[in-house]
Amino acid sequence: MDGRRLRSERTRQLIVEAYLALVREEAPTLPTAAKVAERAGYSVRSIFERFPDIHALQVAATDHAITQVVTMAASRDGGGDRAARIRSHVNTRARASEHWLPLWRALIALQDGSAELKARVRAMRERVLSLMEHMYEPELSTLPDVPRRQTLIALEAIVDVESWARMREHFGLSFEESSAAWVQAIDRLLPPTPSP
Amino acid sequence: MEAFLALLRESPSMPTAAQIAERAGYSVRSIFERFADLNALRVAAVDYQLAHAAALAPPRHVDGDRQTRIKSQVETRAGTCERGVALWRVFLYTIDESEELKLRLRIARQRTIDRFEIMYRPELSTLGDVERKHLLIVLEALTDMESWARLREFFSLSFEDACAVWIRAIDRLLPATPTGA
Repeated sequence: MDGRRLRSERTRQLIVEAYLALVREEAPTLPTAAKVAERAGYSVRSIFERFPDIHALQVAATDHAITQVVTMAASRDGGGDRAARIRSHVNTRARASEHWLPLWRALIALQDGSAELKARVRAMRERVLSLMEHMYEPELSTLPDVPRRQTLIALEAIVDVESWARMREHFGLSFEESSAAWVQAIDRLLPPTPSP
Repeated sequence: MEAFLALLRESPSMPTAAQIAERAGYSVRSIFERFADLNALRVAAVDYQLAHAAALAPPRHVDGDRQTRIKSQVETRAGTCERGVALWRVFLYTIDESEELKLRLRIARQRTIDRFEIMYRPELSTLGDVERKHLLIVLEALTDMESWARLREFFSLSFEDACAVWIRAIDRLLPATPTGA
């Protein structure tokens, strides 16, 4: 990649990061192009040179966030005993929920007006399901198809980002207490671990 | 208020005063003679819906066996979610604009928790305070309006199949029923 293209990519990246920082700081208000430009240290024009409209910026920011969440989840240990796997899953999911809650809320609010954002919400939920399928394969493998699917769907509801937000905002639980509530629930929901 | 609720069921966005007036067959002025602003109308609609839900969904089979109680509670909750999700969405998207709506959110969630406490008293009585509190919070999240909407819209489950997901999950989450209960 030549120097000019590299600089342009870097500018694009900084604009996306400025957008995400503003979403976190000013939720539930969504940032305007002018605010993003001010935060990133560029002109409004330079934003629209890289993104045709604010919606394209929202989609790019969502893709950036998804990449980060996926990287975070991929780095966790998928092995270990039942308790270690549950702890590892909860810890990763809790940190992601804590960090990405404002963006997730913006995404949910905007998805009805955008097929692209709706597709990303769907992809995220499917990813959560497939990660749990991998993580809890020993336990889930003991179940026939229908109960296995039911267990996965219930797990997805329990570890939803809004479920995390409710524990933290509505019930006033600390990060550790909220994590403990999820650990307890997942452990109860999963069938016994088969002997090796 | 019924015009407002009917519009919400048709389209999940906040209707304008003109749309509500047209549907109800009144003038916009007559709406604002009865409600100070659209937030007051929203709050009144939420109160109406909460009262409606309480009237339509009294606790049933409280003294039944475990499976009967779980089935009864799930079907009642599912019915409330099915009827209420449209208003709930508008309510959540606008909640930051109103302290009165925040209070109603607390009331709605507390009512769900109170219902769990009534229906699953035997099982919950076997738990320590912290474990009990955590379980109630998780049960409330599991049976949230949006969780129901996801079962129906995202996973495309029928009413019965969606109830079956909740029944299985609640049965797994609850501790064993004490002997003699």
